[in-house]
Amino acid sequence: MIPEKLAPTPSSPAPRPRSNGVPDNPLAAELTRSLGPKKVLSARSERLNYRYDAIQFGAVPLAVVLPESTADVVAAVRAARAAGVPIVGRGAASGLSGGAAPLRESLVVSFTRMTRLEVFPKRREARAQSGVVTLSVTEKARPHGLIYPPDPASFRTSTIGGNLGENAGGPMCFKYGVTGDYVKALEFVDEGGEVHELTRDAYDLAGLLIGSEGTLGLITEVTLRLTPPPRYTRTLMASFPEVGEAAEAVSAAIAAGAVPSKLEFMDRACTNAVEDFLDIGLPREAGAVLLVDTDGDDLETVEEERALVEAACLKAGGAVRRAQSDAESAALWQARRSVSPALGRIRPQRMNEDIVVPRSVLPEVVREIRALGDASGLPLVQFGHIGDGNLHPNVLFDPRRESPQAVHDLAHRIALVAIRHGGVLSGEHGIGTMKRPFMREAVDPVTLGALWSVKHALDPRGLLNPGKILPDEEGDGAHAHP
Amino acid sequence: MAHAVDACVHCGFCLPACPTYALLGDEMDSPRGRIVLMKEVLEGALPLEDAAPHLDRCLGCQACVTACPSGVPYGELITSFRGWSEPRRQRSPLDRAKRSAILKILPAPKVFSVAARIGQYAKPLAPLLPAALRAPMDLLPERVPAMQPNAGFTPAKSKRRGRVAFLAGCAQQALTPNFNAATLRVLSRNGVEVVIPEGQGCCGAAALHTGARDEALRLVRQNLDAFHPDEYDAILSNAAGCGAGLKEYPVVLHGLPDEERARAFAAKVQDISEYLGGLLREGDLERPMPTSRPLTVAYHDACHLAHAQGVRAAPRELLRAIPGVTVAEVPEGDLCCGSAGTYNLEQPELANQLGIRKARNILSTTPDLIASGNIGCHTQIQSHVRRAGDRVPVMHTVEVLDLAYRGEL
Repeated sequence: MIPEKLAPTPSSPAPRPRSNGVPDNPLAAELTRSLGPKKVLSARSERLNYRYDAIQFGAVPLAVVLPESTADVVAAVRAARAAGVPIVGRGAASGLSGGAAPLRESLVVSFTRMTRLEVFPKRREARAQSGVVTLSVTEKARPHGLIYPPDPASFRTSTIGGNLGENAGGPMCFKYGVTGDYVKALEFVDEGGEVHELTRDAYDLAGLLIGSEGTLGLITEVTLRLTPPPRYTRTLMASFPEVGEAAEAVSAAIAAGAVPSKLEFMDRACTNAVEDFLDIGLPREAGAVLLVDTDGDDLETVEEERALVEAACLKAGGAVRRAQSDAESAALWQARRSVSPALGRIRPQRMNEDIVVPRSVLPEVVREIRALGDASGLPLVQFGHIGDGNLHPNVLFDPRRESPQAVHDLAHRIALVAIRHGGVLSGEHGIGTMKRPFMREAVDPVTLGALWSVKHALDPRGLLNPGKILPDEEGDGAHAHP
Repeated sequence: MAHAVDACVHCGFCLPACPTYALLGDEMDSPRGRIVLMKEVLEGALPLEDAAPHLDRCLGCQACVTACPSGVPYGELITSFRGWSEPRRQRSPLDRAKRSAILKILPAPKVFSVAARIGQYAKPLAPLLPAALRAPMDLLPERVPAMQPNAGFTPAKSKRRGRVAFLAGCAQQALTPNFNAATLRVLSRNGVEVVIPEGQGCCGAAALHTGARDEALRLVRQNLDAFHPDEYDAILSNAAGCGAGLKEYPVVLHGLPDEERARAFAAKVQDISEYLGGLLREGDLERPMPTSRPLTVAYHDACHLAHAQGVRAAPRELLRAIPGVTVAEVPEGDLCCGSAGTYNLEQPELANQLGIRKARNILSTTPDLIASGNIGCHTQIQSHVRRAGDRVPVMHTVEVLDLAYRGEL
């Protein structure tokens, strides 16, 4: 089977391109009438650019709405529903599982203009509209002595709405948790165009919306929890001849009681791709590199924890370098943030995994995956939030040189490694379309049925981001979906 | 071009770096979106005229190149695309006339000087004129200075340390003749003899970046004939846009007969701040006199210096070398000021918004002085700072250094 990501772009029965900006379909015309021309993109040259995220190209949407308020979202949802057109929410489209790429002609609701952000220092809260760029929450909170810890690599670009949709993580997740851990309340528009405000008490429906990738509703506003930043942070980098040794060091450090705030790894290909971009003196020869932050309000404890990690690294055969300044540690973290896009220097496309495995099995898992890559002859790299057991094996490819089927087969074997070791398919990037084909192996049929029941309850017409997360129900015959 | 298009992994890291995305917030006016549009046009899936408005809005500032971890050579891509698409564009006769006038007047200092003088006297009439003519007039200084002839050779005043060739530049000779005068004085004082080779012309960047490829090739070859890289330690420019243009010659001539010559030429090209920064690091730069009082200098990174040439540290180091100077970092410093070559003539509205934003950001540092290394930025920033009601002086980095040497800072 050819995975959807690799299949040719679904072709739309393209209406003749127009340059006069006149809506060329009834939905676009209706939206333009109700919302005004500035909030609706209907020319094909405009819609073309709303069919992708950072991993996948999908179908050209029928129309794009750029709402400025929840009321605009409601109007857009109602119009799409009346027209029977699927609705795909979109933030900055930096997602890595195909979540924001429409699979068929849809209405794309792009939240980039919903950027209202208020900080309430006394309550240690921020209220953000969906289109607020992630980093700007911390930037606005910092003068009040607060930060917003979730820090996906894309945090300069990605939006809060997108982060909630994917339940995004980031290096800080090891000690501080992921997006969902910082959401106190959220507002969403349901499939019928009704607005709801959810908190985390009673039924944790907010928790259900978080990570649902726009398949259950459109998140429009959110209340986020802020925390004071730690007073001290120390950074170290350790390099290892071989990838399994890095994983051994991680297991040993955590077993010894260290709770670093960040514990990340990247293999040789990643290090070299990033070094080509930044030229900051990363060890090009190392088989794997660990990047570690320890932090806290008590300097002695922070240093002790760093020493624990250092000792574990040295014992596993690593060489350790301490960052000597804030600038050096910032450069190292910029390096880690740049891994994912820098892989484009190796091959233009990639199959991106997001597996999570128990930390006790990390050395076996990274070695098994490395061996699978070597045997396949395809360029395979590994990096990720190894402290969390969250790994991103990526199969890199150029469709002109490598067989898409071979890429998919390798990705499948990697997913099976995770499942065999008691792991799951996604830590922070969502299932999207990328991991959807593996869901039947990862989730038992009864549980899948329960997930479908939830989907049907909140999206009875199947209009919300169809084709994502859940594999089709055909096969077991139950809950046949229109 | 195909390689550059393929290299984009559409990750979105370029979005926060892009000035038009910052202003307009839509995907078509982002680097990632423009790459997709170019690809669609090249593949025949989208009419050029549909993509053109979005591609025309690109400033060519290359902030996205700095931000791109995948190494997409966006600058080369948009330049090649403009060269490819310009002959295929349907433009109104008025539009064509305007573009051709810009490309004729800008590179010819004497013509430019006359035009600027006419513009200066016509300024009171500006509100009556169409927007296309108002934009360039807004940017003119209150008084257009007299043209100064270029000395062909300037000897070294102290112990001879080097010999360089200098590109005299175009519009700046007419608008800000002191840029070159200060450059020659500073080089000469530091023991560098300067030749301004005869027969040199415009660097060709304006023509190249607006898609006038044949004209650009003519200018590039003219300069390759005029400069003889073997005879100089370096070929210097004091305008970031021109310097970036000179460094681009091998790309312009890629696959053409003079490519090797262009490579040898480009290997010698340096911005004036790079060259002086080199002297400073070697301990060969004469120490400037202290300022009369502590001065905060807001340094503005010209896109063609910071992004296109990767020169960020040297100008700051030179300014800090003046005792009494503190260099202030400008908020949103990586965001283009909106000048961008001929952009403020072709997209006055967006250029204006960016200019206002830049002036506000610069003035937020409460500077005593503003320094930059590019005539376009200089004009744009000066115009917007004045419009914001502030009289703080705007200078070329080398002018600041020149004043410090003379004890006038």
